[in-house]
Amino acid sequence: MAIKKGRFTIENLENVQITIGRIVSPGEAEVAEGPTPAPEIHDLRDWDMKLLDRYGPVYSPVCDMCCYCTYGKCDLTGNKEGACGIDMEAHQAREAMLKGLIGTAAHSAHGRHLLNNLIKRFGADHPIDVGPSNLKAPLTQTIMGIKPETIGDFIPVLDYIEEQITQLLATAHTGQEGSSRDFESKALHAGMLDHLGMEVSDIIQISCLGMPKSQEDTPLADIGMGSIDSTKPVLLCIGHNVAAVTYIMDYMETHDLFDKIELAGLCCTAHDMTRYNENAKIVGPMSKQLKYIRSGIPDVIVVDEQCVRADVLREASKLHIPVIATNDKIMYGLQNRSKDEVDAIIQDLVSGDQPGALLFDYAKVGELAPELVLKMAPVRKEMGITALPDDDEFRKLTSSCSQCGACVIGCPQGLDIDKAMEAAAGGDLTLFEELHDRCIGCGRCDFECPKGIPILNVIEKASQRVIREEKGKVRIGRGQVGDPEIREEGVNLVLGTTPGVVAIVGCPNYPDGSRDIYEIAEEMLQRSYIVVTSGCSAMDIGMHKDDEGKTLYERYPGRFLKGNLLNTGSCVSNAHISATAIKVASIFARREIDGNWEEIADYVLNRIGAVGLAWGAYSQKALTIGTGCNRLGIPVVVGPHGPKYRRAYLGKPYDKEKWNVLDARDGSVQNIEPVPEHLLVSAETKAEVLPMLAKLCFRPSDNNLGRMIKLTHYIEMSEKYLGILPDDWYIYVRSEADLPLAKREELLKKLEKEHGWKIDWNRKKVLEGPARKVDVSFQPTNIPRLCKGASE
Amino acid sequence: MAAKELDTTRNAVPFDRANIPGPKMAKAIQAEMAGKLISKARRPLLIIGTAGADDGVIDMVKRIAEKGIPVAATGNSIKRLKEEGIDATYVNLHALVSYLKDPGWKGFDGKGGYDTTIFLGHTYYYASQLMSTLKNFTNIKIISIDRHYHPNAQQSFGNLKPDDFLKALDMVVAEL
Repeated sequence: MAIKKGRFTIENLENVQITIGRIVSPGEAEVAEGPTPAPEIHDLRDWDMKLLDRYGPVYSPVCDMCCYCTYGKCDLTGNKEGACGIDMEAHQAREAMLKGLIGTAAHSAHGRHLLNNLIKRFGADHPIDVGPSNLKAPLTQTIMGIKPETIGDFIPVLDYIEEQITQLLATAHTGQEGSSRDFESKALHAGMLDHLGMEVSDIIQISCLGMPKSQEDTPLADIGMGSIDSTKPVLLCIGHNVAAVTYIMDYMETHDLFDKIELAGLCCTAHDMTRYNENAKIVGPMSKQLKYIRSGIPDVIVVDEQCVRADVLREASKLHIPVIATNDKIMYGLQNRSKDEVDAIIQDLVSGDQPGALLFDYAKVGELAPELVLKMAPVRKEMGITALPDDDEFRKLTSSCSQCGACVIGCPQGLDIDKAMEAAAGGDLTLFEELHDRCIGCGRCDFECPKGIPILNVIEKASQRVIREEKGKVRIGRGQVGDPEIREEGVNLVLGTTPGVVAIVGCPNYPDGSRDIYEIAEEMLQRSYIVVTSGCSAMDIGMHKDDEGKTLYERYPGRFLKGNLLNTGSCVSNAHISATAIKVASIFARREIDGNWEEIADYVLNRIGAVGLAWGAYSQKALTIGTGCNRLGIPVVVGPHGPKYRRAYLGKPYDKEKWNVLDARDGSVQNIEPVPEHLLVSAETKAEVLPMLAKLCFRPSDNNLGRMIKLTHYIEMSEKYLGILPDDWYIYVRSEADLPLAKREELLKKLEKEHGWKIDWNRKKVLEGPARKVDVSFQPTNIPRLCKGASE
Repeated sequence: MAAKELDTTRNAVPFDRANIPGPKMAKAIQAEMAGKLISKARRPLLIIGTAGADDGVIDMVKRIAEKGIPVAATGNSIKRLKEEGIDATYVNLHALVSYLKDPGWKGFDGKGGYDTTIFLGHTYYYASQLMSTLKNFTNIKIISIDRHYHPNAQQSFGNLKPDDFLKALDMVVAEL
């Protein structure tokens, strides 16, 4: 008899119920395998310390004080100790760990919520199906040492994450840990857990909700405020957890409502909505939230969790937009109506008796939201709700501005709002139109204006022309990179002949507008890098077009190959990007990955030219995603807001002792060029970051052709964007074959004249000078036990 | 002597209003005093951000560089600086503060670290955070001659109007 998971009653024993949660066959991989399965905080500490020794943490405090306990406030300025004995350095490391933990908890709690929901709907036995891959859950396998087959197999994975989060959180209590390095190790642990939690979240929804499974040619979804048909009732869903929204889409599908209602999403829920049903549209990333609500277009708003503004209910209420909250994370003080009849709730919301409702019964959410929006739209229209100022009001508001500059000081971007106001008062809207893309839509300016001008509304009113043109396309999130793609491309990545993988991810807190990441992606695609994207960045890349009106998604295919652009999906789909590196180690290099994080991270650090770019990172989740990448040996670059995360991991290229690795063939020490140079670093501008991305794709394992290709891009982009041949180009040269072909002779001359290298000009060969020679069999590692002859 | 009437200590509040780091915040100084402090530095380093290459400001950068003060060009300022014939070294600002806090770093000229950093032309919040590194973890002097008040410097101008900013820079140069 086949035993199944689930609940059973026994005939004639009415009060007896048997629950079978897990079924383990003899010899099955239920026992965790590998050197460090389900690692505790200290298990990967040695690896962390290796990273931290080379990439020393650099702290940039946002606040010089500690106010954690009643001993304080303590002034830690100048690395002083506080009353508990902690110094500034350790406190900053603790802060970075805590902020990261918030992000880890957000993704993992998302996973837990979704898993509970999906187990109820589909059963714990529901098989994992991520597409054409044997390696279905690379992060789970590498961290936990198990191979999950069903969604129920992720229960112990989340149990593990939750336990580790608790242990990590406990270390932040006053006193206790006094070592900044150990706090960093804990932050790296939290980062790794975050990737695990994200993997669980996305694999279960891909498996259960029919989302694309490693599909390279997913359809294109509409994106942009201008792409939403506001003549229809508009139902707006904001957040990151699509669980409740799937019921809405099912109801709309069943009742043929997609023609009658415009269903739009904001933030990562929007990605997952399009992955679930192609009829959904995307308004945009978080920076559009307040702007779109203030537009007055949505007739009903449904929120779930994570990157949802805390003032959605307040803002929506002003415009008679009912808000349906569906998750414990965000309840806005609303009444729990889960046990009430749908019609009664609708009546209270349409009449305005209640500003919104809290609903945990998703079947009711599914029915209520579409039915409510059909009723609200005509009511709101009849009420004549206008959100933005009319032309007369606009003139009055802009003319009343005294150019005091308070809004500029209040703006996180320091935008010249005062100048735009002055120009607008004179009838010139161009400054506001230019400012609109750079405005992150936070609304802080409104609170600063001494004259009470609703500045964000003024910006939006002035930018109506450009907003109408905000129409783009995003390729719907594809999920994982499939095993066959890794087999095809893995060798090129490790040898460097594909110059690298650039993962453009994270939030929309860009320093100079969203066009930057479109242009960064375009430059890297033209240079045959693989560009992988997700979340808000994936949206913004699709918001811009070339001269022929095409987005990058329409111009570049979506396979994991050089010169391709892949959208993995929502924020939790970031897990597939780090998992891709693990897949290369497993499938191409045949490394054992089970419970073997250290070895795999060592492989990634030394062999795989991948770099993350979180150009507009703002959230705690983005911090911990980056930190998790770092523990896996993947460098990350953040934009100029990034140092507000308080900590970076920077290498010192001039300190040669930091750049020793072992040759696994015999355990000998090899001094390598400083690659990758940094693990977490920031840049000020797009022009600065482009050559930096190219440089951070260098790896010690590059063969000559690979290094030549990478060095070519580094030099070309330095010349193009910075106007210089970079000062450090020569330290990456190991032989004449590493030199860019078009510049070989010119650079050989420079090596001889400026750096004292010896050149055989007859053969155009380098005779003396490089720090090391290329050896195609070189097996770089930072782990002694991996060297031949090493005893465990 | 309109320039002499310029008071660069006025409006010394963080340009980003909530950027209040703690008990130790920059003293607002007059432009002449900034020039004198820079002149007294044993090993000064002028750190230029992307906006340091803007019209008007770059002329001042050139004049300061001509006084023999080494120039670190951060962001993408290096392009314009080179075009203008200013001798400068490109370096990422984040990396630079990391090097500056390392006693083992030999500087751009191999002669050792720097005792005074002078910030000009930076994205406000970016430079503020990285000054915070220098303030909390080094003994290096931090003088901001940028347009906005920088609490994490030791000395800084208050928030200045663009014209006054250029006048203030002119007064700094006059003291070198």
